[in-house]
Parts: sequence; C-alpha cells; structure tokens
Amino acid sequence: MFKAENISVSYGPIRAVRDVSLDVAEGEIVTLLGPNGAGKSSLISALIGLVPRAGGRVVFRGEDVSALPTESLVRQGITVTPEGRRVFADLTVAENLRLGAATRADRDGIAEDTEKFLDMFPILRERYHAAAKYMSGGEQQMLAISRSLMSRPKLLMLDEPSLGLAPRIVDQIFEFLVRLRDWGVTILVVEQNAGDVLEFADRAYVLASGSMQFAGTTEALRESGDIMEIYLGLEGH
Amino acid sequence: MTVRKRALAGAAVLVLCIVVAGLVVGEFAAPYYQRLFMTFLVNLIAVIGLQVFMGNSDITYFGHVGFMGISAYAVAILATPVAIKRTALANAPFGLGAVEISPLLAVAVAIALTLAIAFLVGLMMVRQTGVPATIATLAFLVIVHVVLVNWIDLTRGPRAFYGIPVKATLGWALAAAGFAIVLARAFRDSKWGLQLRASSEDLAAASAVGVRIRKLRLAAWMLSAFLMAMAGALFALFIGTISPGSFYFDLTFLTLAMLILGGMHSVTGSVLGCIVVTVGVELMRYLESGPVVASLKLPEMFGLTGFFLGLIIVLSMTFRPSGLLGSDEIDDLWHRRRLRKAGVEAS
Amino acid sequence: MDYLLQQSMNALSLGGEYALLALGLAIVFSVMGLVNFAHGDLITVGGYAMFLTAAWLGLTNPVMLLPVGVFSVVLFAMFLERVAFKPVRGAPPTTGMLMAFGISILIQNLALIFVGTRPKAVPTMDFLMTNITIGSVRIPMVQILETAVTAIAIILLVVFLRRTTIGIAMRAAARDVATVRLMGVRADRVVAAAFAISGLLAGLATIFIMARRGAVDPFMGFTPVLKAFVAAVIGGFGSLPGAVIGGFALGIAEIMLQVVLPSEIAGFRDAFIFTAVGVLLLVRPQGILGQRPDFGEKS
Repeated sequence: MFKAENISVSYGPIRAVRDVSLDVAEGEIVTLLGPNGAGKSSLISALIGLVPRAGGRVVFRGEDVSALPTESLVRQGITVTPEGRRVFADLTVAENLRLGAATRADRDGIAEDTEKFLDMFPILRERYHAAAKYMSGGEQQMLAISRSLMSRPKLLMLDEPSLGLAPRIVDQIFEFLVRLRDWGVTILVVEQNAGDVLEFADRAYVLASGSMQFAGTTEALRESGDIMEIYLGLEGH
Repeated sequence: MTVRKRALAGAAVLVLCIVVAGLVVGEFAAPYYQRLFMTFLVNLIAVIGLQVFMGNSDITYFGHVGFMGISAYAVAILATPVAIKRTALANAPFGLGAVEISPLLAVAVAIALTLAIAFLVGLMMVRQTGVPATIATLAFLVIVHVVLVNWIDLTRGPRAFYGIPVKATLGWALAAAGFAIVLARAFRDSKWGLQLRASSEDLAAASAVGVRIRKLRLAAWMLSAFLMAMAGALFALFIGTISPGSFYFDLTFLTLAMLILGGMHSVTGSVLGCIVVTVGVELMRYLESGPVVASLKLPEMFGLTGFFLGLIIVLSMTFRPSGLLGSDEIDDLWHRRRLRKAGVEAS
Repeated sequence: MDYLLQQSMNALSLGGEYALLALGLAIVFSVMGLVNFAHGDLITVGGYAMFLTAAWLGLTNPVMLLPVGVFSVVLFAMFLERVAFKPVRGAPPTTGMLMAFGISILIQNLALIFVGTRPKAVPTMDFLMTNITIGSVRIPMVQILETAVTAIAIILLVVFLRRTTIGIAMRAAARDVATVRLMGVRADRVVAAAFAISGLLAGLATIFIMARRGAVDPFMGFTPVLKAFVAAVIGGFGSLPGAVIGGFALGIAEIMLQVVLPSEIAGFRDAFIFTAVGVLLLVRPQGILGQRPDFGEKS
C-alpha cells in the first residue's frame, strides 16, 4: 500500500537518513525502531513532505506521490501524529478535532466520528471546550491521535506516541492502536520503546545512524539477538 | 595574522582607498563633484554608524538619523554667527541667541549632547529585541522630528536654518570618514563586538548571560550615536543650511538601502553599498529630470530616485538578503583568496 | 458634558480606526511572522483606486466607490502576498520586515511617478459629511459609522476565527504552521486568508480616512501605519485583542492630549505620546497583552 524507496534526508552537510527503503502493506501494523538520533523522525517528516528529500521515491496505493506537498498527501489518505503530540495548545479539544477533519465536507460523518472518539476517550468529552494546553501528556496524546483519525486516513504514521507517558497510559494507547486495525487503518508506528510495541506489531524496521539495520517480521527480529541488544537495548532469544 | 591585526589592516585598506579617492577628487574634480563627494562622505559615516548597531546586534534600527539631526542642530545653534541669529532666531531660549562659539567647540558640544541623549534613550532601548525594539527606534525618530519641527524658538521649526559657517573641508571629512571606518572595524572585531554578534545570533544562549548582552548593545548603540553625531555635525558645517526634513525618512531610506545592499554585517559592505547607491542615485536624479539621451527626450519622472531605493531593498531581500558582501570584510575576501591559492599550490 | 460627549465620540472613532489598522497588522504578524510596513500603503492604493475609478471610468457616485475602495485593498493585499511576500516566507523576520519596507517605498514612489505629488480628490458621500444632533450635541455621521463599523468588524472577525475552519486554522497557524499542514490545510490558503482579512480591515479604514480627507496623495499611508504599529505594540504585538485595546488606547490618549495640552505645545502631542509609549515598553516590553517571547518562538 505504501512504499518508500531510497529515501535520503540531509540537513546541510549532515546526512540524517541514507538511502532508506520501507513498505507497509494494507492492514498491517509496522513499527520503525531505533535508538535516539537514528533519524526516525527525520524519515517520517520527509515521507510526509515536511522536510525535503534529497533523493528517493514515495508510492502510495500504486501511485507515485513523490512530488506531492504535505497537504495533498494528507488529502490522499496519509496522516502523521507528530512527535511530541503537537496539539494546538491554545485551541479547544473541539477546535483541534475540527481541524483534524478539515479535509472533509460531510458534516454528519464528522459529527459521528467526533462522537466516536469522545466515547472512546471520555476525558476528551469532559474537556471538549477547554484549551488543549491544560491537558496532561496522555490526554493530549489521545487528542492528537483522535485528531489524526478525524480525516479517516488509510495510513496513519505515529511518531513516538509513548514518549513521556506513564506505562498505564501507554498500554491504553497501544490497545487503541490495535483496535484501529479493525477500523481499516494501516499503521506505521515509530518507537523508541521497542518492548511494548513488538507485542502487537506485524513487522519491524530498525534504523540506526540513518541507515536501515533490519527489516522483517517481529519474530525474526526477536531471534536476531544482536540487533535486539545493540540497537534496541533488549535481550533477544 | 591574528584577527585583530587583520581587521585593522582591512580598515586601513578601506581608508586608503577613500583618502586616495578624496585626494583625486579634491585636485581634479569640478565643484559639483567635490560637493557630491562630500555628501558621499557624510552619508558614509551615517551608514557606518547604522552598521555598527544593526550589524552587530541584529536589530533593525530606524532612529539613527534622529541623532544626526540633534547633532546638526546643536552645531547650527551654537556656531552660527550672532548677527544671523538675531533675525533668524529672535526668541532663542536659554540665551542661545547671544552665544557663538568656534565650530570645533560646537562640534564637541554637539557630540556630547547627542551622546547624553543617546545614553538615556539607550538605557530603555537595549532591554528589547525584535519588533518592539524597531518600533521604539522608529518612535525615537518621530519624536526628534516632532521636536525639531515644533520648537520654533530654538530651531526655526520647519523652515530652513541658514547661516551655519561652512567650515567643513574635504580634509576634515576624509579624516572623519577614516576614523569612522577604523572605529567600526575595531569594535566589530573586538571581544565586545564578537560577543555581541554571537549573542544576537543565538538569543536563547544569550538570555543566560542576560545583563551582559544589554551592556554590549548599549556600547554598540553609543558608538553608533557617536558616529551619527559626527555625521550630523559634518553635514551642518558643510551644507550651511539645514531643516528638519533633512533628518527624517528620506535620509533613513537612503542609508538603510546603502547598508542593506552592501551587507549589514560588514563595514566594507557599508562602504560598497554607499558607493553603489550614491552612483545609482545620481544616475536616477539625472533621469528624473527628463534629459535628452541619444536624441530621445525622456519624460520627467519625479520619484524615480525613491523607486530605485525601494527596488534595491526589495531585490536585495529577495535574492541576497545578506547583501553583496554578506558578513565578509575586505580582509576576509583577501584571506580566502590566499587560502585558495595556497590550496591550489599544495595540490 | 456636551463637550465630553463630542470628544468621547472623537476618541472612539479615532480609536476604532487605529484598532482596524492595528488588527490588520497583528493578523499578518501572528500568522506569518511578517511585520508589514506596507500596510499603510494599502490605504493609499485604495484611495487611488477610488480616484481612478471616478476619473477614468466616470463612476463618480460615492456609494459605488465604497466597495471599490474596500475590494481594491483586499485584492491588492492578496496580490502583494503572492508576488512579494511569498518568496521570503521562510526567511528570518528581519528580511520580511525590510522587504515590506522596500515595497512601501516602491508603492509610494510609483504613485509619485505615475500620478504626481498633488493630492487627487475623491468624491465622498454627502451623507457621511452630515451631522447628527443628539440633544445639544452635534456628532459627525462619519464618526458614528466608523465606530459602528469597527465594532461590527471586530465581532465578525471573532466569529470567523472561532467558527470557521479556515479561521481556526489561522489561529493554529500562529503557533504551528507545520502541524496545520498535517491537517491537510494548505498553508498558502491560510496565509492568503490572513492577508485578505488584513486587507479587508484596512479597506474599511480606508473608506473612513478618505471620507475625512477627501483626497489621496502618495504618502498618506505613512502616518496611519506608524500609529497602527504603535497601537499594536502597545497592546502586545501579534495579539489580536491587544491590537484592539492598543488602538483604542492610542485614540483615547491622542484626543485626551489634544484637549488637555495648551496650544503652545499642542504641536508636541505626538512626541508626548511616543515618549509615553517608550516608557510603557520600558516597563512592559511585551505590551499590555503580549507574552514574553519564548526563545524559539516569533518575538
């Protein structure tokens, strides 16, 4: 469904991402792992067009979308929940969700979806008319993900959703991500917190120092003790 | 060569060029061009004054010409012969109507006065950055203008203040310009200048050093005011007649355009910008009057000069916001050439 | 009492005008980080559009000229954005500000070259020049309308910013343009909307300025933009409510000084105001409603 080929990202003389390729099939949950500073966020930013690519191609549902700007990619059905949540702090929950649905015109559908998320995350309903900046990290993450889903994307990329959150909240969020599969959303989740995410992901990529170190199923990853240890700080089988 | 010595060498080269040009003009040029050159020197000092503050602190600064005005009027009021003041400035306050001092002394007093005012204003100015700072400098310019226009007893208001002794010679102007260049370079490459530039580029780091950056900014502000005061005094003693309009937005645009074109972070840039714009403006003035070129009578186009200045600023911002020379001084260019040559030889 | 009422109307209508202009500046700054020095020249362009429509198209009916004035300003503002400011969108704030400054000079001198220094008369609605008598007080219609229009414009703006998607997007873009793009909202659209609104507000102000002056000249935009900047900075540059408060504060201060100052020093009124502003900024550099700049944010 989604294919990125030979992506490179440079910040001036610094090569943050070198010649990286990955793909995500429809209905999968794929995770992109790697230590801090590996270039994961740069890659995501480049895939969605927020940061220019120094080379490579992006194909989505059979079409080459390499030349499309961020806004068009979102309209095509790819969405990113950015690192650090990036909710619109001064805007209310309602306004954040409304912006999430900016690409849609069907008022009834939007209302329906809003209700869905307010049911799923009651705290959002409680704070519906309150500014997002008053919410805790976990609450903001729920808002950010809901906001991303308001556009009914086909592919959702999440950049470190567990960052800075308590384990209980992280569980809640990951549970939610699994359910998304039932809703027909394909997921690419970037994480540093490898242990938890490997529980439910189908396939995994490991990025380190800008280059891809591993690509394969989660079982295969668990079995390669080196990769697990060196890059993810986990013990392999 | 240490950076310090290199800076002074660079400054010396610039001064040499200017002095040589001055000598040539003084010896061979028609009076019109001599006057043009004098105006060029006055503008040059003003642009360098602008550069000292804007280039080192990264704050856009519109008030510089106000200091020129204060100094020019101070010189005018003090140095103009009593005989003229009796009619021109009949109701002068503080008994200034009876005061007449030598031009040199008047300049000294004018500079001191300007520096005092600059200090007071500066104390307030340096606490701000960004837009509020720029607006504050704009406000200062307007305040000075309003005072000059309305304090009729002291300044003759909007009418021309005439009779100032024309004592500024080419020699004095060259000396002043040379002094300005050396001063600006010395500050820019001194410990203070370097610190100020570094802090201005990274405000977050600078905030950790808080009070220090304010002191540095104040130093740059005072130096700038000093140079503007020199320019103003020179202007008064060279033109002999001044009015508040000479120290308002027209001169502001002109000097700003010169600085932007040349490169606001470079003293050499200021000189270059001043030369290019002076030549360009002369050309525009010629065209404005509807001259006959190649037996074609061009229409009168008043406003062409202003248009030209605006165009310079717009084109610079679009294509080369850091100016022709960016942050390079003449010694930087020369140094790089040397390195390149050495590289070529080595390989 | 009557005098007080009259001066209050003066202050309100003048304050309203400054508020409209300051709002235009604040919107563009908050969405784009651009200090638009050319904002005052929008007024000049509007005035000339009205003049040229009357002179060339023979459309001298003042009522018809009102929409001409407003729409020409809106269109010109959007044109300026596309042509002049888009290329410097990512650049540091100084570049944008100086660019706007250069554009301002260009516009003024183009007007000078092609139309000339002499003010050109623009027909005004007689209706606007009438006075309304309340009790024993005569208030110019212009002032009442100006105050009313300002109030309505502000209310409509608030509704726009709260209720429409693009308005909400504009508020979001003030802090985080990248994430707004992630919503699928085109950054270009948001910026164009900001300029259009800025132009609309300036256009409304233009109508009233033209009604009062009756003529347009190349440099008439200069003083309004200066006052607008001061108003916006007083209120906290970039803050929309601040711009409104600053505008009215400035208008009230100006009228008060005019009333209070003895005639010998009346000419220094602007100097007093600017000095007071300077002191205010010294005590509270971020203005009344502004926030202390967080390094990394637009300051």
